[in-house]
Parts: sequence; structure tokens; C-alpha cells
Amino acid sequence: MNRSLTALAAGSAAALLLSACGSDGDSSAESGGSLVGEGTGEDCVIEDPVPIGAALSLTGGAASYGESQQRGLELAAGHLSENEGVSYDLTIEDDGTDPRQGITVFEQFVEDGASIIIGPTLSNTAFQAQPIAQEAGVPVLGISNTASGITEQGDYVFRVSLTEQQVIPQTVQQATEAYGLEQVVVMYSNDDAFTESGYEVFAQSLEEEGVEVLDTLTFSTSDTDFRALLTEARNAEPDAIVVSALIEAAIPLVTQARELGIEVPIIGGNGFNNPQLMADAGEAAEGVVVGAAWNSASDNPANADFLSAYEEEYGSQPDQFAAQAYAGMTVIDHAVRAGCSGERDAIQTELGNVSEVETVLGTLSINENRDAEHEAVVQVVEDGQFTVLD
Amino acid sequence: MFGESTLVFIALGGIFAYSFYAVLVAGQLSLGQAGFAALAAFTSVAVGPSPADVGELPALLIGLLIGVVVGAVSAVVLGLPTIRLRGVFLAIATLAFAEAVRILLVNAEWTGGAQGTSVTKVVTPAIAWLALLLVGYWFWRQGPSRYGRALAAIREDELAARAMGVDVGRHRLSAFVAAGAIAGAYGVLWAYYMRLVAPEDFDFVAAIDGLVTAVVGGSTLFIGPLLGSGFLTMVPEIQREIGVDAGWVRPFLSGLLLLLVILFLPGGLASLIPVRRTAPPATGGDLGSEHERLSTRTHPAAGEPVVEVSGLGKDYGGVHAVRDVDLTLRSGEVVGLIGPNGAGKTTLVNLISGLVPATSGTVRVLGVEPGRTPVHRVAAAGVSRTFQHSKLFPRLSALDNVLVGSHLVSRPTFLRRLLWLPSARRDEQQALQHAARCLARVGLGERASVPAAALSYGDQRRLEIARALAADPSLLILDEPAAGMNHVEATGLSELIGSLAAGGLTILLIEHNVGMVLRTCHRIVVLNFGEVIAAGGPQEVVKDPAVVAAYLGGSAGEGPDLPGPAAAARPEGPTAEGEQP
Repeated sequence: MNRSLTALAAGSAAALLLSACGSDGDSSAESGGSLVGEGTGEDCVIEDPVPIGAALSLTGGAASYGESQQRGLELAAGHLSENEGVSYDLTIEDDGTDPRQGITVFEQFVEDGASIIIGPTLSNTAFQAQPIAQEAGVPVLGISNTASGITEQGDYVFRVSLTEQQVIPQTVQQATEAYGLEQVVVMYSNDDAFTESGYEVFAQSLEEEGVEVLDTLTFSTSDTDFRALLTEARNAEPDAIVVSALIEAAIPLVTQARELGIEVPIIGGNGFNNPQLMADAGEAAEGVVVGAAWNSASDNPANADFLSAYEEEYGSQPDQFAAQAYAGMTVIDHAVRAGCSGERDAIQTELGNVSEVETVLGTLSINENRDAEHEAVVQVVEDGQFTVLD
Repeated sequence: MFGESTLVFIALGGIFAYSFYAVLVAGQLSLGQAGFAALAAFTSVAVGPSPADVGELPALLIGLLIGVVVGAVSAVVLGLPTIRLRGVFLAIATLAFAEAVRILLVNAEWTGGAQGTSVTKVVTPAIAWLALLLVGYWFWRQGPSRYGRALAAIREDELAARAMGVDVGRHRLSAFVAAGAIAGAYGVLWAYYMRLVAPEDFDFVAAIDGLVTAVVGGSTLFIGPLLGSGFLTMVPEIQREIGVDAGWVRPFLSGLLLLLVILFLPGGLASLIPVRRTAPPATGGDLGSEHERLSTRTHPAAGEPVVEVSGLGKDYGGVHAVRDVDLTLRSGEVVGLIGPNGAGKTTLVNLISGLVPATSGTVRVLGVEPGRTPVHRVAAAGVSRTFQHSKLFPRLSALDNVLVGSHLVSRPTFLRRLLWLPSARRDEQQALQHAARCLARVGLGERASVPAAALSYGDQRRLEIARALAADPSLLILDEPAAGMNHVEATGLSELIGSLAAGGLTILLIEHNVGMVLRTCHRIVVLNFGEVIAAGGPQEVVKDPAVVAAYLGGSAGEGPDLPGPAAAARPEGPTAEGEQP
């Protein structure tokens, strides 16, 4: 009798302990109920706020992008909280542009019970950190990663950012038609994963369009003086200069090209899609062609609202990183409401079903490879504004 | 806060910092480790077997082996041309290497360029910490070994280390190779943990990170790199944990903390740990029989020539520091070398000990030709010396200074210490006892654990003699050992030299204290303006008119009464200028 009592006591103590442990780790997955709501779509009501973690590069080399993304996310979170039924608990963490911290932040989010993690700013960090979420069954949504293979890492990895494969071929095709390109010079910074993979797609698309590449010139992301390379490019007498670079390099490159009397179009990729280009390069930016995932001049209502709200909140124009971050939150909200559940697996399932959602990037769907599909845009700078190239 | 990744990054950061520690202990500032790590990581991923084929652990072990070899080999390739560079020049050269490697890898096809290469994750916290502990163990055992002391000596004073018979070039290169091997291991572990290895992981910032980790942790105690890595890895984690806003504040606070550590703990975090300095063994027991175990050299028989100098000259530009000097020292002789300041005495002993090559003439010392033979070989032949301006190893204890002196007569112990072989302990004990005896002989037995820099001037001079004696030399050169000593100390020194000479040691003594020279030396050589102006027994030399003229200036009619310390002080005069180098 006595023994069985002791056993019972020990057993119940162990059970208590186990349940305590269980609810400690992944509260969202285990505690159940509170993240699952009732209703669907706009009528969905979820009791608890849905925890979202975002690992961004707020300091270090990629801080300028991370900051835009942070603004986009916070603006979106503010807007979404005005809607009834579902609220979000957005935690933004800094990875310091250091893959080690990226991994640690992902681990932390997984442990703290984030329902979804918004992916790191840089593609290389994404490759290194995402598997942690994949293994733990936490969905990841990339908002700026354009390298190929990102979503191939697992069935929990999604993205709203278009790959270069989706943007650049269209850019090359439309520019070739508009300017009758036959011969071009290609320039790119070869020590950055983003610009290098952009270059690869440029080279491939140019070949497909039958445009001859006279010369391929490389530089470093940290370079600021491109005069020697540009002189070389000018002497080749191309019909256009195709550039895969980040905005930091794009601005001096464009400015110096015009100084050297290069009047042919300069064609850039996603990295150029930044209002900073017109702000800093001024006159020199005129005629620069930018293929991008976001049409800043688009007058779709979502985008118009976003532009004015962003300007009001931060006093400056948003760039593509902010727009994609904003769209990421829109897509997450859609997925949560579609299943009316803030649980990890439900979000994963519903992200796969995202189809024709209205976002600032346009009408967005997620395909079977978990990559986003929406219209890319080819823009040209005219009178200090991005306008659609036609 | 202590997630899996945090644990792994503390270990990996520690290993990388050890690759900097490996050369910092020898006083080398290298930034090439990032290059070694990058080469090792990419090579082992490209060449090594895939974990899918051979299993995860074998793949990692083979990868590590490849990485260590690649790191070590590239360190040799880089080290051979650059090892002669010192300080900031070495740092720049190695940094250039690391940058060249990064550019190479960015532009190479097989590395995947800037987008890097995907790798299977194999490394777990247990593996990372095991690797860290192995590397830490290596340096723990290295510290108090003959090899470790030689590296510390090179760091403290390279020239003195050479004069004690340490082959500086070889030691520096081996430290460099150890750095390469460890950096290689780090690169491989990094690759097999991060899942993606890209050239940017081994850029300038990474190199600086490794250096900062090693310096913050402390580069004189083996635990330093581990402390540094723990500190630097945990600072962002703790800030995150206590809710410091994400953004610029965090790196700012990290920088501030770093600044505070460097300001208030110049020796790094490791300086918080009290260090037990090597204590001299309790003297007692049969010291005589212990002495047998040290590999003593065979000294030339009494009367055999030890030093043969003929027609020796040394010019510095137009200055003839030493001109046409002929000199022979026979075993067992105590020869005094005197002369006014600037007479060329120090230049002559530098020629004899091989520190400077002669312009003309020949020197043969104990079967070697100094000037054409590296200094450490001259030392190995049995020449040991002190310096006019003390060249001790300031941060090492008196005992450790003397232990470095016994470099040539003790046996290497590092590898045996790694394996805990009892013979290594015995050898270390013998070396310690030998050193303690040398210290006791100059009267410093009580001050064995005091850092050399903290000793009084007179004690420093005596410590230098003890260090020189520890090499069991056949020829002992003492360059102004009594300078700065008071009357009592000088007398004591004089007695010490006398007792050494009585033991059959050949001594060349440079001294301004003429009284002491007259008391101690069998023979005296007088130099003036680089030339020998007199040589012979003490009494002859004192009466030599040329000597009198040199010391008093002009031509004195009668011989001075030099034999007395009071008179000896007179000729020296208030000359401010130093000796020729």
C-alpha cells in the first residue's frame, strides 16, 4: 500500500515535470488551442497573437538593406494590427551580417516558439540558417533572397522575393527590344553572392537573346572608383552596359560613366531598384534601366497606400527591400487567416496554397517550388522617377 | 542563450584564436590564418569524401586531416619567404596572402565563387569542443616545455634567444606551421558546421576577429583564446537575452566592452587567472649526480686554443671600429679586454660571438667561424655571453630566463610532455635543478620566481651571468658585467669569476673597472681606436706607456699607479657616448 502510494506520487510528479518541460519549449505547438481560431479569411479570430520572428541584418555590412526591411515589416505589422481578429507579435532580431549570429537567432526563434521566421537578409546566411527551422518544422519566409536553391533546402522554406531567373531574362528581353541591343559590355562585382548569381543569369539571358558580350569586367563590392573599367567599357563601343551590382556600387558607377561621356543605356538588376539611385546620382541616373521585382510606380491600390504610408512614417521613399518585407507580412497574414491558425504546420500548409493575393508587389502566388510568382517590371529612370519601360 | 550554435561558435572561435595564439607566443603578428583556413576548408570539401558515401564522422576526420595538412603546407610555403619579416611587416605580408587567397577562391570555378559550396552539417557541439580541448591541451603542454620557453624567449628578445642557442628561424617557422595547421582544422570544422562555406567567411574581418579573440583572451596563457572566444561570443547573446534593442547599440556596447577589457586588462582576460610560476625545485638531495643527466659538452683541454683571431677588422662606413686585431685565447684563461669608451671592445666580442660579420680577417672559435655561422650555432659550439646592456627576457621569471639559457644542454620535452611520458618530467626536473643551481651560484636563488624586469639592476646583471652559465659554455664572454654595481657587488662578482675560472672555464671579460680586471685576469688586452695597443700580464700592461697615454690622454712621463679601484674609476671619465654596437 505504502509502496504503491509512493509510486503514484513519483509518477504524478514525473508527469507534472514532463508537462512543464513540454510547455516550456514549444509553447505554440504544444499548448494548443489558443493559436487556432475560428472562422476563415477576414472573419478569422485567433485569441493569442501569432509570434513571428524576423532575422535581419540591422548592423554590419548589409545593415542598409536590413533597415529597409525592418521598416517594411514594422509598417506592415502596424497596418495588420488594425484588422480585426488576428494580431501578430513581431520580434525583429539582428544577425549583425554574421552567419554565426544568423544561426543563433534562428535557433532562438525556434526555441521561443515562433510560428514563422522571416528569413535572413542575405542569401548566404539563409543557406546557413534556414536548415535549423526546416529541421524543427518552422516555416521560413524569405523576403529578399534571390539566389537559386534557397527554397530547395526544404518544404518549410518559402519566399516572396523573385529570383534573378524571374526578373533578369525579362529585363534583357525588353531592353533588347527597346534599344535594339546587339553588343554589350557586362560588369559585375564577383565577390558577392547576390551580384554574382545576378551576373550568371544576365550572361545566360544575353546569350538567349543573341546579344554579343564584348567584354566582361569584374570589380569588388567595396570598390568606389570605376573609371578605369568604364574607360575600357567605353572603348569597346557597346550599345549598352549591363551591370550586376549593389546600390553602393551602382551609384558611383553610374555617375562616373556619365562623367566619362558614356551615354548608352546602363542596365541593372534588383540591386539598382532603390530611390537612392536618383537621389544620389541625380542627372546621371537618367536612362538607367532597372529590372526589378517591385514596380514602385505601380498604381495598384495596395502599392499606393504603401508608398504614402511609408513616406508619412519615415519621411523617405521606400526601396524594393521595404516593399518585399511589407508584402511578406501580407502573405503571412493571408496564410494565417486562410487556415485560421497561427500554428507552424498550418501556416506551412497555407503558404503553399497562396494564390493571387494582392500585395504591394502586385498579384502574388506561391508555386509548387515554394517560390513567389508575380509580375516583374522593367523600369527606366526618367525625370528622376522610375517609370515602366515600354 | 546556450543553444547548440552558441556552444559550437565558442569552440570554433577558440580554435581559430589558438591559431593566432600559436604565433603570438613567439612574438609574431600574422593575419594569414584566415587564408590558411579558407584554403583548408575549400580543399577538404572539394577533395575529401562526401559524408553520404563514407559516413559522417569518417568524412569529417578525413576532411580534418586534409585541412590540417593543407593549412600546414601553405604555412610553410608562406613562411619560408616571410619569416624574416618582423612585427607589422609580417602582419601586412600575411594579410596580403589571406586577401590573395580570398580573391583566388572567389574567382575559382571549383569553389562556387562568392556563392560558396554547400557542405553537409556534421559537426556537433561535442565534436567542436573535443577539437577545442585537443588544441588547448596542445598549448597547455607546450607552455612549460623547452620548446615553449624558446618561443617565449624569441618573443621577449630575439637576439638574446639566438645567443642562447635558440634557432630562431626554425622555431618561428614551426610556430607558423602550427598556426597554419590549427587554422586549417578551424576552416574544416567551420565548413562542416555552417552547411555553406563561402570565401567571405574568411575575409579581413574574420582575420581581425581571430586576432582580437586571442588578444582579448590573453596571449601568454594557454587558456586565453578560450576565454576570449567565450567572451566575444557571449556578449551579443547576453545583450539579446537582457533585451538591448537590436541595432547599432549592440555593436557599440560590444566595442565599448572590448575597449574596457583592453584598457584595464592589457594581458587579456587570462591575466585574471593567478599564475603559479615555475618554482625552483627544493635544493637538497644529491645535486652532483643529477648533473650527469644533462647533456654536458666536452670542453677543450686546458691550454688548447679556444679563440683564434687574426687580422680581424670591422668597418662601419668610414669608421674602423676594429682594426687588424690578433688575439688568441687558450682554454682555462681569463682574459680581460679593456680600453676607453669607443675603443671597439664590444664590436670585438660581437665579432667573436658571431653577432656581426667581420670586414676583414678571420675568427675561429671552438671550431666554428663566427660571422659565417648562424649565431645559435656559435652558441651551440660553446660560446655564451652577456650583453653590455642587459638583454634579459623581461616578462619571464628569473628561473625561466636561466632555463632558456640551458636550452642547449637540456633535451626537447614538448612531444614527450604531450604524451605524459615520465622521462619528460625527469628531464624538466633536471633542467629546473640545473637552472636553480646556476641561479644559486650568482646568489639569486631566493629570487627565482621574480620576473626579470622586476629585479634590481645589479641582480639583472647577475641573472644574465647565470643565464649564460646555464648553457655550460666553453667560452664565457662577459660584457661589462660590473657596470652599475656598487663596490661590494663588484667584489662579489670578482670572486664569482675567480671561482668560475678555477673550474677551468675560459672567460673573456670586458670591464671598465680596471681594479677588478687586474684582480681576476691572467692576461689583459688593451684596445684603443680599434687596435690592440698592449697585451700581456696585468702588471706589464699597467706600466705600458701606450696604455697610460690612451687612458690619460697625451704622453704621460711616468707610469700611473693604476692598481686600485679608486684610480681605476678615474680614466673612465664622464663619457656619455656608448660603445660601438
